[in-house]
Amino acid sequence: MNLKTKALVSAMGIALSGNVFAATEVEKLRADVEQLKKDVQAAGEWKEPSTIIHMSGYADVGYTSTENANDSFAVGTFAPIFHYQYRDLVMLESELDIKLKDDGSTEVVLEYLTIDLFLNDNIAFVAGKFLSPIGQFRQNLHPSWINKLPSPPPGFGHDGAAPVSEIGMQLRGGFPVGGVRSNYAVYVANGPELITEGDSPGNFELDGIDAEGKNSDIDNKKVFGGRFAILPITSLELGLSAATGKATVTSNEGTEVLGDELARDYDVLGFDFAWQQKGVTVRGEYVKTKVGDATTGVSASEGADWTTMYTQFAYKFLPSKFEAVARYTDFDSVGTSKDQKQWMLGVNYLITNSVIGKIAYEINDGETGAKADDDRLMFQLAYGF
Amino acid sequence: MKIQKFKNSARMINAMALGVLFMSVPVIGFASGADYPPRGDFAKGAQTWADNCGRCHNIRAANELRDDQWISTAFHMRMRAGLTGQETRDVLTFLQGSNTSVKVSTTPSSSASVSTLSGKEVYGQTCVACHGANGAGNFPGVPNLTKKSGPLSKKDDALIKNIMGGFQSPGSPMAMPAKGGNPDLNKKDIEKTVEYMRKQFVK
Repeated sequence: MNLKTKALVSAMGIALSGNVFAATEVEKLRADVEQLKKDVQAAGEWKEPSTIIHMSGYADVGYTSTENANDSFAVGTFAPIFHYQYRDLVMLESELDIKLKDDGSTEVVLEYLTIDLFLNDNIAFVAGKFLSPIGQFRQNLHPSWINKLPSPPPGFGHDGAAPVSEIGMQLRGGFPVGGVRSNYAVYVANGPELITEGDSPGNFELDGIDAEGKNSDIDNKKVFGGRFAILPITSLELGLSAATGKATVTSNEGTEVLGDELARDYDVLGFDFAWQQKGVTVRGEYVKTKVGDATTGVSASEGADWTTMYTQFAYKFLPSKFEAVARYTDFDSVGTSKDQKQWMLGVNYLITNSVIGKIAYEINDGETGAKADDDRLMFQLAYGF
Repeated sequence: MKIQKFKNSARMINAMALGVLFMSVPVIGFASGADYPPRGDFAKGAQTWADNCGRCHNIRAANELRDDQWISTAFHMRMRAGLTGQETRDVLTFLQGSNTSVKVSTTPSSSASVSTLSGKEVYGQTCVACHGANGAGNFPGVPNLTKKSGPLSKKDDALIKNIMGGFQSPGSPMAMPAKGGNPDLNKKDIEKTVEYMRKQFVK
């Protein structure tokens, strides 16, 4: 074999091996394309339609050992949240609050239902029953998978100092103020109703505020309110809330319906803050609700104040999944039996980012003999879905 | 008479307030829904996600929901957290971009790719959102690249493999998506980025 033949054979060999290499690459590509076709076909059902239906929500179960009461297992809340969205224009949001009562029957409450119109990048128009924008706890922190402790701070529950929900209209959104982020909510709503206790005219006194949104406005006087918050640095949010309007007594000790009562002044003021840095979160809120006097009507009586404030500290022991939480709350109500100072200490284990096991101890200081004075040990398993 | 006047004026105030709210709808006008939802900025979205979500709840990983589920979730969070529309789109782009559900290739081509970006550019455009300008991590759980025992203590091959395919560090709230969520990057880009990170963060 001469040199020319050797070179020719070598060249053919290289060409042949190149062809084999290319053929292998082509086969790989073919396999990839086939796989891609299958994946795209399978993913096709998730092409974005104009309407999206989505369900999320949360639920919790637990065990409570209460001083001076029987210990018990309990299902806390099952709260499905429904979203129906038309493109980026409109969203219907609704949360049901489904609870088991002590007798085993089920109670369903419409926690909120709103139709949100996204008017532009900075304003959304909200109509319906919405969580009160006063402060942070009711509108953002009450779901059990978000609340770092098994119970809400006293005064932020369903009959405390802070309003729970409203039925009306709201504008809300966010915008930058000279490089600082801010967010806001302003609303007009039917407002709350008032509850008295007493057994005869001249002997009544205010007992509570029924501050969950009502489908009627018995005094025909709306409540106006809102919240404005700024984030001077990205890790800190400072909020100021207020509401004003009229509220009227509609029931006595939660049962007797009264009529023709005088509409009283109703004013709410709140401050809140939240700061986070690495594994540390510190937050707090103050809410004061003031109801004025009524000089006429069956339930005529002096006005009253409800004040509550809490501060909460939480620390995540990264990279472990443990978190320690401490919270102090001071709730002043009109009835001394509801006044409460509370320390709550807890440890959480984050099973996943939204499934949390909690153990916490409430040290309660209230009127002797009252429920508000009983300490509690609580276990809770909360799932945000 | 006075009471009637008071009632009338109160009704007028109520009616005016309702009127202002209703009239604000046509005056402000609707945002266009033509590009649904228009793409936002991936890096800004990562920053907004890191800055805001953890303020109220534990941060949820991008792969906990499907891309379409993230749309409603992002708009729900716009209402809750007071985000602007742009911030919402940025966060959505970040979450969907980090949630790569279709694996395009399981048999990577052996042919070399052409890289036009420097390691610094790749880091600044893609990695910085989570790892931070100083490499220490922008939010809890993101591994510290400046630590001696941190991710950069691994060999190049292992690092490049983790970045190319995605990786979840222990204690991190979410996995780093494949190629940091930027599918346009190729292996050469990743190699240059690893080299840049070593020079920048390993003392």
